[in-house]
Amino acid sequence: MTSVRPPLGLAMRSLLRADSIVLLRNRVSATLGIVLPIVLVVATSFGKTQTRFGGADLVIALALTIGLLTSCVLGYSLSLAHDRDIGVLQRLRVAPAPTWMIMTSRLCVQVVSNLIASVIVVIVGSILHGLTLTGGQYALVLIVAVLGAAVFLAIGQALVGLVQSASAVNAIGRILFIVLLLLGIVGGTGILGDTVKSISGWTPVGALMTLFADVLNQSAWSDQDTYALLVSAGYIVVFAFIGIRWFRWDSR
Amino acid sequence: MSDPAQVQPVLEVENLRVVYGARVAVDEVSFRIEPGEIFGLLGPNGAGKTSTLSAIEGLVKPKSGRSLMGGIDTVKRPLEAKFRLGVQLQSSSFQPELTIRQIAGLYAGLYGMRLSRERIDADLRAIGLDSESGRRFKQLSGGQQQRMALYIAAIHEPLLLLLDEPTAGLDPQSRRALWQRIELARTAGRSVLLTTHSMEEAQAVCDRVAIIDHGRLLTVGTPSDLIAKHKDDPAVLAIARGAVTLEDVFIGLTGSEIRD
Repeated sequence: MTSVRPPLGLAMRSLLRADSIVLLRNRVSATLGIVLPIVLVVATSFGKTQTRFGGADLVIALALTIGLLTSCVLGYSLSLAHDRDIGVLQRLRVAPAPTWMIMTSRLCVQVVSNLIASVIVVIVGSILHGLTLTGGQYALVLIVAVLGAAVFLAIGQALVGLVQSASAVNAIGRILFIVLLLLGIVGGTGILGDTVKSISGWTPVGALMTLFADVLNQSAWSDQDTYALLVSAGYIVVFAFIGIRWFRWDSR
Repeated sequence: MSDPAQVQPVLEVENLRVVYGARVAVDEVSFRIEPGEIFGLLGPNGAGKTSTLSAIEGLVKPKSGRSLMGGIDTVKRPLEAKFRLGVQLQSSSFQPELTIRQIAGLYAGLYGMRLSRERIDADLRAIGLDSESGRRFKQLSGGQQQRMALYIAAIHEPLLLLLDEPTAGLDPQSRRALWQRIELARTAGRSVLLTTHSMEEAQAVCDRVAIIDHGRLLTVGTPSDLIAKHKDDPAVLAIARGAVTLEDVFIGLTGSEIRD
């Protein structure tokens, strides 16, 4: 040993490299994050399906939101819970890397993969649905994707914080996924009444779809966008607090 | 300027107390480990061995007391203490998606070392895992996993190796091979703190042993000292079959009831 404490930069780079390899080799995560939204934009590009969903901007917004929701709430949380169950996190904790660094590395890799997936979905979606996007719109899509990833990662973190076993995280994550999706999408159509429709706008999925759709159809900034932004920020703060406060590194 | 860690005990544990809710897992435990010493912590299941190690490793925060790694408080300066420590957990697990070469690269980086692919391959060759370098940790046999875990624990040449039941579940050949590697670590100037259920292992490998039960340290000494010290205890004599062994002392001090 030559120095008193390890250089944190090298530790962070090593973690980022390892977490990137793990994510690339995790087929479930890749499937959830890219394939599912792509299937959605392809399936809605035939006939009048696109119109039934409310137009190209809403279809792509839905695909982007589903991609983020599945890869964060299902993929990230399950991967974290599984690594905790088998002792990977404890092994990392006895190394001289701060715990915030271990978690930050995972989150960074997850957000980058979400951004790449979002860009791919927007490109495929805009080609199939005949949308022409400007560079500014792509930039805004990335910003909203970061916001959406933060919302759903915070929810995923809270899930792993409150639930100990990986199998329970998996089961509850699936239920949460369905509830969030139904509230955000079905509720938003107005089929279940005006009350549910207005509630839908305040859900994570509803708020994010509003922002994505307004970016894609180049709407002027509205009160609805402001509310969606504030609601998303609120979700990030609340769920991140829960996820950090009650998170345990060991499932035993 | 000489490193103060070189002239101090490698590890000093003072009045360590670990509490989980209402249960006291470690109760005022104190011991020290000298440079180059192999120290064994023996105890039945639930005696407090792993909790003691966890407190030293920084995995649990002690209620009171302290442990000093080469003079560095493990609670007040955890990163510096961890940098001087090599750990093999009871159930070591690495990311299942990584190959063992990638695992070596990751942990070298966490300890501030850049190891070339050639260097890692040479290290893996030295522990007989060069042909497995592209495989995942879970694909290795139990003995190979333990060798890999020990290699990772010692990758940064720490002052002290903490090995939590390193030979549990291994066949006699793998166990002997691991003992040799522990001896090699001592030869290289490292100290070792290991927990074990095996009295044979304690006698074969350890310079000194401590017996712990219900969180309290019952006795400390060399294996032969402990036998000499307790050979006339009525509880030890009651279970001895012939000459008193370390196992007789262990059972005599900790009781015959089976622990889960």
